[in-house]
Amino acid sequence: MAGHDHSELTKGGAHPHHVLPQGMIFLIAGGLFAGMAATIGAAFMIPEPLHSNTFFMQSLALAIAIFKACLVVYFYMGVKFGTRLVKIFAYGGFIWFFTLFIMMADYTSRPMEPVPGWETVPSSALPRNTVEDPE
Amino acid sequence: MSGHAHAQGDGPEVYFQYEDIDQQQESYVVGMWAFLMTEVMFFGALFLIYTLYRWKFHDTFFLAHEQLNWKMGGLNTAVLLFSSVMVAFAVHFAQKGKKTAQLICLGMTLMCAFGFLVIKSFEYGAKGDHKLYPNYTFEYGAHDKDHKVESWWDDNLPAFMHIEKKEQHGDPKNAKLFYSIYFTMTGLHGLHVVIGIIAITSLMVLIIIKSPLITDYVPTELVGLYWHFVDLVWIFLYPLFYLIPR
Repeated sequence: MAGHDHSELTKGGAHPHHVLPQGMIFLIAGGLFAGMAATIGAAFMIPEPLHSNTFFMQSLALAIAIFKACLVVYFYMGVKFGTRLVKIFAYGGFIWFFTLFIMMADYTSRPMEPVPGWETVPSSALPRNTVEDPE
Repeated sequence: MSGHAHAQGDGPEVYFQYEDIDQQQESYVVGMWAFLMTEVMFFGALFLIYTLYRWKFHDTFFLAHEQLNWKMGGLNTAVLLFSSVMVAFAVHFAQKGKKTAQLICLGMTLMCAFGFLVIKSFEYGAKGDHKLYPNYTFEYGAHDKDHKVESWWDDNLPAFMHIEKKEQHGDPKNAKLFYSIYFTMTGLHGLHVVIGIIAITSLMVLIIIKSPLITDYVPTELVGLYWHFVDLVWIFLYPLFYLIPR
């Protein structure tokens, strides 16, 4: 397809589709395994006081995971070379995923539970024990 | 088959509802992505549950996660990443029309998938022996680190896969919650691996018997999309369950 330096045609040639070159597949594989090594390395080798910083450590692990996920989605799953319709569907799913976490705003801003006696009721709702029991 | 507007040489036929082969193939890929979107929603809700409880009970989640074997999780990550690379090569060779190389790559992916399940069974087996299944057998905090729990799964692990045994600390109720989420999410992921095995095996059989259903690379690409998604889920599960920071 036009605009891609590494374009090749599928066999037959009548209908061009992007073929991910072997070199690119190896390159992405290198990135994925480097990401995996970075995830494990970061979990055990980051020095103090950063290692005790939960927010930093979790953010770093998730940043590496998102980097690896982008490599897989963008190149291996072919979104980079897909049509606009494919991109809408692909990005739509992941945007929805992040939108879902807006729900957390509810839990962080509304300390509704525990209500008195919640812990004695089987199959109760979430034990959101963020407020003092009024009794 | 009825309803075919015209054939494209030795390639796939174009069905009457499509303008050309590009539109037809795009619809297949979009259909697969629509399915994967539902999968994102499915796992998304589980990730939200994990986030919520991890936020509420971080201390116990950290202590409970120390019973998981991060080395086995890491090995499974490597196995799945390698399988993803193999699937990418399988699609590459399918697009080039090299069937033998395509079948070899799909076979390697299949072996990785079985390898993943074997490693997972060792993990699950040991957790059962340590009474960490979140059911009526669940016992947390009953054993100190010097207490030897007999487990066939632990005893048959290679030495380099063993991790230092940690004492079980934290609220048992919240630890049970951690293991409930752990087994739900990794179990459902494992189920997806099994479905992937069925899909890849079916694809390989259809290619080998030269089925008329396989006329181009698109079926391989669709199976590949599914398998990459399985890999994608594990990319997030590994750091979130096995490498929880203090």
